[in-house]
Amino acid sequence: MLVERIAGGDAEALGELYDRYGRVAFGMLYRMLPSPEAAEEVAQDAFHAVWQRAGSYRSDRAAVRTWLLAICRNAAIDWRRTRGKREESEVTIDAAAELLSDSKVDERVVEALRAERVRTAVAELPAEQRDVLSLAFWGGYSQSEIAARTNTPLGTVKSRVRLGLTKLRERLVDER
Amino acid sequence: MSTAEERHPTEDLPAYALGALDEAERIAVAAHLETCDQCAHDLAQFEAALYEAAAVGAVRADPPRDLRTRIVLQHRGARVVRASDWGARVREWFARPVPLAVPLALAVLLVVSFVAVGTARREADTYSQALAGVADGRVVALGPQKNAPAEARGALVIPRSGDPYLVLKLSSPPTGKTWEAWVIKGQRPTAAGLSASGGVFTIVLSAPIDAGDVVAVTLEPAAGSSAPTADPVLAGGT
Repeated sequence: MLVERIAGGDAEALGELYDRYGRVAFGMLYRMLPSPEAAEEVAQDAFHAVWQRAGSYRSDRAAVRTWLLAICRNAAIDWRRTRGKREESEVTIDAAAELLSDSKVDERVVEALRAERVRTAVAELPAEQRDVLSLAFWGGYSQSEIAARTNTPLGTVKSRVRLGLTKLRERLVDER
Repeated sequence: MSTAEERHPTEDLPAYALGALDEAERIAVAAHLETCDQCAHDLAQFEAALYEAAAVGAVRADPPRDLRTRIVLQHRGARVVRASDWGARVREWFARPVPLAVPLALAVLLVVSFVAVGTARREADTYSQALAGVADGRVVALGPQKNAPAEARGALVIPRSGDPYLVLKLSSPPTGKTWEAWVIKGQRPTAAGLSASGGVFTIVLSAPIDAGDVVAVTLEPAAGSSAPTADPVLAGGT
């Protein structure tokens, strides 16, 4: 298994992981960060984190792609908090409402990821639920921060997060 | 006694998957997940849905062509080390450099790329002279590190005879600063030469270098330092 090989110190396996998911990981980071250079830097950091954490990966908890993208996203949020100015993410926040259903998608990735089904599921979410999910995911904001920034009661934000992601789960994830 | 089974944080799991809980909430849910397989299963499904949607929302962008190579080479034979202090950072250089032995022809191409962006002919001459003795030697590329200036490049030239030297493309150091080369044996860096130049220039290494050593370049005070005071801008293994 690929991650086991990485955990065993096989750098070529890390390259194979990059071959499979590097492009979508970079595309996600590019969306979250202010420049392609930042995305490149964080991608390299994230794959280094993969290298370090491969031994603790649990296949019963997450698919490899999910695990990798989560590491990438966390690395991007960390970069923004430590090296990037928070203000730089304002553009992301302003545009966040449309991000999940944005048309700037990679068709090659889309095809492999059941994109049409995903697009439909996202499009069918009420706009206010899609907005809070996008703000949290791409903007890296907590529910409290979203409530403050959008002048929305915290309970309402929590409800929208819960309902929105629950619907996505119902429509995108097959019960195991 | 309150058990994990009695108080499932079901309503917080979506926000946990998003990383959108406040710290106290996050800690409480994380603790619960340690002992509750059902919630861990639910969380995994929320994450799967979330990242599937995110993958579709990713920007259409090609990563740099050499990113894969750098990631692989960074870890080929690398030890996994956490940098927490200066000593550890020095050791980290072993994990981060991009050791890449390049043939002479590629090294020449590197020269061209160095000078093809409008820099002076003098720089081309400098680099050509630097390569004059490489015919039967080795060239090892130094990888740009996190804090490297834009377009920083470097190569270690190990001629069959004569002292090894660095060929560097770096901007001029700020006033009061200089570029300093280091040879690192084990975990011990040894000062190996200074240059306050900018553009394409060379530093002849004043410290001996052996197989397995790491060479790095840092920005130091103008008089040089006896030990590195900054993270490397370029590093590579021999």
